Amino acid sequence: MTPAPDGLCRHCLLPLGRRGFVRTVNGESCQFCCYGCCIAHQVKSGSGDASEAAWFLVRLGAGGFLSMNIMLFSLLVYSGAFTGADRQVLPTIQLLLWGLATPAVLILGEPFLRETWSQALRGRLSSSALIVLGSLAAYLYSTLAVFRLGGHLYFDTAAMVLMLFTLGRYLEAAGRARASRDLAPLLAAESESATVVEGVEEHRRPVREVRAGMLIRVRPGERIPVDGLIVEGCSHTDDSVISGESRQIAKTIGGSVLAGSINLDGPLLIRSSGSGDESRWAQICRSVRDALRQSSRTQRIADRVAGAFVPLVLALAGLTLAYWAQRLPLDQAMLAALSVLVVACPCAVGLAAPMAHSLGIGQLARHGCLVRSPGALEALAVTRLIAFDKTGTLTLGRPHLVDLAGDGVGEDEMLARLAGLERYSEHGLARAIALAARARGLEPIATEEVRVVPGRGLRGVVDGELVAAGTAALMHELGWQLPPALVERADVMAASGHSVVFIGWSDKACAGRARALLSFDDTPLPEARATIDALRALGVRVMLLTGDHGGAAARLAATVGVEDWQAGLAPDAKRIALDQCRPRHGAVAMVGDGLNDGPGLAWADVGIAVGSATDLARETADLVLPADGLWLLPWVVGRARAVRSTILANLAWAFGYNLIALTCAMLGLLQPILAAAVMAGSSVLVVLNSLRLERLPGPVYPSALQVAAAARATSEPQPREHAERARQRVETPRTWGESSGELRL
Amino acid sequence: MGYYALLFIAGLAGSFHCIGMCGGFACALGGDPRGRSATAVRHALYNTGRLTTYCFLGGLAGGLGAAIYTCLGMRSQLGAPIVSESLVALQRGLAVIAGLLMIIMALQFFGLRGLRRVTTGFGGSTLATALRSLLGTRGHAAPLAFGVVNGFLPCPLVYAMVAQAASTFDVLSGCLTMAAFGLGTFPTMLLMGGLGRLLAPGWRQHGVRLAGSFILALGLVTLGRGIVPMTAHGLHHVWHFA
Repeated sequence: MTPAPDGLCRHCLLPLGRRGFVRTVNGESCQFCCYGCCIAHQVKSGSGDASEAAWFLVRLGAGGFLSMNIMLFSLLVYSGAFTGADRQVLPTIQLLLWGLATPAVLILGEPFLRETWSQALRGRLSSSALIVLGSLAAYLYSTLAVFRLGGHLYFDTAAMVLMLFTLGRYLEAAGRARASRDLAPLLAAESESATVVEGVEEHRRPVREVRAGMLIRVRPGERIPVDGLIVEGCSHTDDSVISGESRQIAKTIGGSVLAGSINLDGPLLIRSSGSGDESRWAQICRSVRDALRQSSRTQRIADRVAGAFVPLVLALAGLTLAYWAQRLPLDQAMLAALSVLVVACPCAVGLAAPMAHSLGIGQLARHGCLVRSPGALEALAVTRLIAFDKTGTLTLGRPHLVDLAGDGVGEDEMLARLAGLERYSEHGLARAIALAARARGLEPIATEEVRVVPGRGLRGVVDGELVAAGTAALMHELGWQLPPALVERADVMAASGHSVVFIGWSDKACAGRARALLSFDDTPLPEARATIDALRALGVRVMLLTGDHGGAAARLAATVGVEDWQAGLAPDAKRIALDQCRPRHGAVAMVGDGLNDGPGLAWADVGIAVGSATDLARETADLVLPADGLWLLPWVVGRARAVRSTILANLAWAFGYNLIALTCAMLGLLQPILAAAVMAGSSVLVVLNSLRLERLPGPVYPSALQVAAAARATSEPQPREHAERARQRVETPRTWGESSGELRL
Repeated sequence: MGYYALLFIAGLAGSFHCIGMCGGFACALGGDPRGRSATAVRHALYNTGRLTTYCFLGGLAGGLGAAIYTCLGMRSQLGAPIVSESLVALQRGLAVIAGLLMIIMALQFFGLRGLRRVTTGFGGSTLATALRSLLGTRGHAAPLAFGVVNGFLPCPLVYAMVAQAASTFDVLSGCLTMAAFGLGTFPTMLLMGGLGRLLAPGWRQHGVRLAGSFILALGLVTLGRGIVPMTAHGLHHVWHFA
């Protein structure tokens, strides 16, 4: 494995945060977010160098041995086992305690001391300073007591405080590593290496050095490092990292394989079809890593508060000491101050958000939903209004040609021109046009300089003459005339809810004008209604914002059960519509796919792209659902809310608990050992609370009944296709653009 | 003294159970390439670590018992004779717990696997994983650390003994209780380190049955001590009156 991406802990893949540090493990420089992770990483990966690997557990075990002996003898002393006749052994016991405590403090305290020192060099006061100060004070006081002053010994306090914190950190690291389990395969893309076959030799090379055309050998059980075609061998693969769907797929010679999928049962020889860092997997990896590296607002605030906490606690401990020293013997005052130091360690605060975020992002990713930032997840949780685009989002995005009318041109010529123009477009209508043209056996007319006019249509050049297709507004913009006969016809078509496209061109003889008109109809998604009902059940208002005209919007709105709709909106108008909703509903989300959604998705608080989203839409989206993944939306919203409430609960717990415990400690009500135990326990509780997210149920496809009802409700002439589609999806509930074969991030 | 001897025997008999889990670890700890004496030191350190954990748990339980005792004792100064009764009840409760744990344990010897999850499902796997990484480590600290962590592995017999230690209401007695039990497990565990693989499976099976019977008997006696004394006491009163 090569280094983990910058900014993330090598072990748990969470953001480094304030406690981050660099340590050399197995001759490699690694970043860790906390000491526990550093240790856990060594334990996990140190197969080559065992002494390094298990050093921590040895430390913990030997420290435990010493601490338990100290504790045992201290307990015996407290319980009065050495009174009366046995009194003369007491000094020996004290010396023994000192002999046990000195190595214990050295062994267990060293990591905390090192952390304090390295942070101090950077001018920061870390929370481990509290632990070091507390345990050293107890140790030094007791040492003095043994050799000079006499009195009570607190070796047990020093040793047990260090022991409990070390244990707490280890458990915390184990929890963090578990939280990132879902993410590990997603983030492994860049650290993977490939077996490159060159002639008769085979070399292990990092994936980023693999270029197109290289031959790669993949053994059974290995992850396929790059996209490519199978040259030799046959096997089954599991593409779950890419598609979110765990299923065995048979592959044989000539078949294509995706980077990130696991080669299950046969050796394969693959010819790479692109360089290693361009694969889908690498792109997903980059996106997820970027998401993890960002911290949400909540976490930033929490970190800032925790940063201010440490000096404050030092001051409070000083005050406590000063106050109690006047009323109690010095050692008891010291004990109270020590409790303050130990109990206030704000470890849990730093843990509150990152774990929940990474769990949330990891689980969504496992189901094919990519999140651009943790902030987006939190924003989605508070969103109360979701606006949908129509075409391709609530509909199949596969409109079919219903009607066409020309004004002095043949149907074939107009279709051929249109097919040429729309050839490179990803818009849903383009496919319908291509289909219609192919059905008539027409060859698309070669068109150059094709440009998209967002929200209006397309324009291009044929033989030096302009040709354009799109809305009436586009024709007006070009200054082209719309024949009244066509306008009248268009009104009729639009009133019945169909999408209308004008096509016009100029030629040498006359200026450009609209020459024909086509109408299309689209089928609503079978699960659209169930999805919208589910969202409404979650307390989310739903509205439809479409560039289409009113008739189509109204018909679709009625079919899928949306009451609120606005039609005929250009991309900018969608932005304005979103702005109008903000004051009433707070955060607003926008779901869309096409090119003309880009600005809307970017403008919304949470932009959600579905399915065959074009590159631009994905760039501007905060959340990308897989193709055919609209039905996942209610689950995603639920998950986002769960993440947010977990974080809030964690923060409330961490801060509230700290405050209460701090008060108790200042009042002298808390023993330091107990304080350390509850403090370490607090971190573990935060970890456990976050891990609860793991147990939430996965997404469930709306039941066949609901989908069938939706299919019946639509007046579409293809009920068979609906049922078929619904059935397919029940079988393959999670797909990453399987049908479109398209995934770009 | 007889009490501690009994505990020692309990440890000795119970350690046949350890052949399964702890014995496996002892075997895995294996020999030291530097020779027999080094191997002996390695296993002695491992067992010392384990014993320390047991003593610590015993002392802690005894201390906890003592704290409860003092608590109740302080309330007794308010002048209620209920105290001695509630103490006895506490002691009996602990005996019942210890007895039941021993019986569960003994039933496991006879192959009741279903109970295993009840008793060992508690964080055992995390600990066991951690332990595994210690096995390959050189140096004297590793077997010691191994023993220390091993001592915390969930085991109903240890729980039973801890309950027993708590019922002594004294740190020293609690510690000694566990020490006697821990020392009882020494012979088997040391042997396992040396000739674990030499024992024939059939012989092991017999040993396990025998140990099971003993633990079952001990468990029943302990359980009986939890339930019977009061009744015996009552009978005594009845006789007294008669």
